Amino acid sequence: MQKQNNLLWVEKYRPKKIDDITGNDEAKALFLEWLKNKRHTKKAVLLYGSPGVGKTTLVLAASRELGFSVIEMNASDTRSEKAINAVAKPATSYKALDNFTENAKASGNVLFLDEVDGIAGNEDRGGVNAILKVIEESLVPIIMAANDPDIEKLRPLKKVCLLVRFQQVRIPLIIALLQKICMLEHVSAEFEALERIAQNSKGDVRSAINDLQSLSEENHSLTLQDTMLLTSRNKDISMDETLKRYFSAQNIAETSTMLAFSSVDYDDFLLSVGDNLPKRYPDAFELAKAYDYVSQADMFRGRIGTENWHLLKYFYNALTKASAVNPQSYKPFPFITPPIRIITLFWTKSKRNTLDAICGKIGAQCHVSHKTAKHDFIPYIRAILQKKPKSPLVGWFKFTPEEVDFLSKMSRF
Amino acid sequence: MVVNEEALMWVEKYRPKTLTEVVGLKDIVESLQAFMRNPKAMPHLMFAGVPGTGKTTLALAIARTLYGANWKSFTLELNASDERGIDTVRDRIKDFSRYSRTGFGDVIPFALIILDECDQMTGPAQTALRRIMEVGSRTSRFILICNQSSKIIEPIQSRCAIFRFSRVDKQAMKQHLICLAEKEGYTLIPEAADRIVDFAEGDLRHAINALQTASAYKEGVIDEKTVSLVIGEASPSQVQKMIRKALYGDFMEARKTMYDIMGSFGFSGTEIIRQVQREIFKMSDLTAEQKADLSSIIGEYDYRITQGANSDIQLSALLAQFAKFGKGIEESYAETK
Repeated sequence: MQKQNNLLWVEKYRPKKIDDITGNDEAKALFLEWLKNKRHTKKAVLLYGSPGVGKTTLVLAASRELGFSVIEMNASDTRSEKAINAVAKPATSYKALDNFTENAKASGNVLFLDEVDGIAGNEDRGGVNAILKVIEESLVPIIMAANDPDIEKLRPLKKVCLLVRFQQVRIPLIIALLQKICMLEHVSAEFEALERIAQNSKGDVRSAINDLQSLSEENHSLTLQDTMLLTSRNKDISMDETLKRYFSAQNIAETSTMLAFSSVDYDDFLLSVGDNLPKRYPDAFELAKAYDYVSQADMFRGRIGTENWHLLKYFYNALTKASAVNPQSYKPFPFITPPIRIITLFWTKSKRNTLDAICGKIGAQCHVSHKTAKHDFIPYIRAILQKKPKSPLVGWFKFTPEEVDFLSKMSRF
Repeated sequence: MVVNEEALMWVEKYRPKTLTEVVGLKDIVESLQAFMRNPKAMPHLMFAGVPGTGKTTLALAIARTLYGANWKSFTLELNASDERGIDTVRDRIKDFSRYSRTGFGDVIPFALIILDECDQMTGPAQTALRRIMEVGSRTSRFILICNQSSKIIEPIQSRCAIFRFSRVDKQAMKQHLICLAEKEGYTLIPEAADRIVDFAEGDLRHAINALQTASAYKEGVIDEKTVSLVIGEASPSQVQKMIRKALYGDFMEARKTMYDIMGSFGFSGTEIIRQVQREIFKMSDLTAEQKADLSSIIGEYDYRITQGANSDIQLSALLAQFAKFGKGIEESYAETK
């Protein structure tokens, strides 16, 4: 048992038997019937449903009980046409050669493609077609799992598959499971705490177990108070909640613990912190200090770019400091969300497009770039047209009536 | 002087067609004329200098001198700040440099490629360009135009004859403006001309555009008053407003103006902060020391924009610094009182 101590509980308590899997009885029955039946009407099955409801677990447990050896390809492996052919072809083109192993019940291979909705873009080019071909030629059952089956690129797959839908696991079932784990791990937990974890998970068993482990592993006890650190896994609530805790934090340590638990996107969070900062610090000196930290955080974000992710901790540290410039001055205020920049850019898009079209026409006539046209010509042409709307310049630049209207109503830069 | 009668913007209409008509630039024109006498020996050229000093004009004049009336068939004119990616270099420039001029016995054995605002080109694009300049030099010549030659990679610089353009001489510009106004049937009062020249800071394009705008305001005589009016209309007011709001403590309003400028006019953070720097020095209600202090702050954030990921956050942080600065002035004023 000693060795098992470092395990993630989700792995440690992943059910080995089909009967131990919590919830989704209908889906289980449908899937097992398909897998047991030697003469499948459809050669492939697509299990779909939100994360953490037991799709992968069911496949592994069922294969074990029925004696299949699972050949698995996950989203973490690339799944280009080539890669799929390399693994799937040999796996699906012969039957039950494993008969010599000690497993007397061996009934051959089953190919399991987890997270097929992750097949995407350029890297997995031709992936879907390759899978279709494998299904067509396969001598063994093929199982696929996906979170969101409604993606366009999966449509051809859905036609040739038996579809099995997984529901979110019901809260009482999750609570019962958590209680069982608590017993096995010698955690004394308040029922309300488990209830909150279960509700917070929104039917995702995996995340519920993960939360339980992260909150209780250290001192083998769990109170409702401990679960307050949980941020809901629903994104909308999460941002508001994170902002609230961020701005009301009493010290840097508190912010830093909170951010470690939050699941908000850091780019969105950075923008939202910036947006709300002046409401948090009405005092000019405090605001300048806080904004300086946010500015530093943004610089770290810039240096991270797309590869230097080890710098992310400095980004968070700088952002953390901005939350506690003066804890005493905190007063609750309504948050500005979503980010001002995104709203502004959305509402002004057509204006920018018109301006850009105008600059293009000026550029073509006067041998200048859009940028030069904007800086060196627009202010003057605007002034001329506001004075003389019927100036022959309109015809020369080939401005449309809308563009003339735009220029004559335009305010000064 | 040959006048382009079709063009209605005066900068285009009176853009010199030959090398000799260009305002100022005597030394540069003389060297270029030497090349024109023996075009086959003309190297790649690079024109570097501040805006509105005649770089593009000279490049177009060279094209006309080399190829005559149908110069457009032998010239590719690209604006690197609009099309600055490596794809442009690979596709358009490469094709043109290879295939545009394959006829035998042509007097000018090469095609001309004018690349404007080259310093806006990305690094990889410049590297690609360097190779094309080498391979295509038998069939094409480049004129590279930029504001700062330091932003062009060394290997390209070493392949070009570099000409540096300085600001147009004030006296020459004044004469040119008065002469131009006369051709259009206006009388430009010398004091008004001085005003335009001061405003334009050596940029002839700005000066001519301002003159033309003034002509839309008033028939016949263009005086100082009209010019002041035009200058007022053409100077940035939103940036001024943003700075003032911040300095006088209304941070929220200042930030809103900033997002307005970014959104409605599509200015980048860098463009805005450079304008802030210029506008600060025009403000009469700040002392020289205060301007210098603010300038250091602006400098810091100008740098941070280049480092950071979100220029609106950096600009907001700058405005917060301005608000703090304004508050500081206010408090020290209250103390001395």
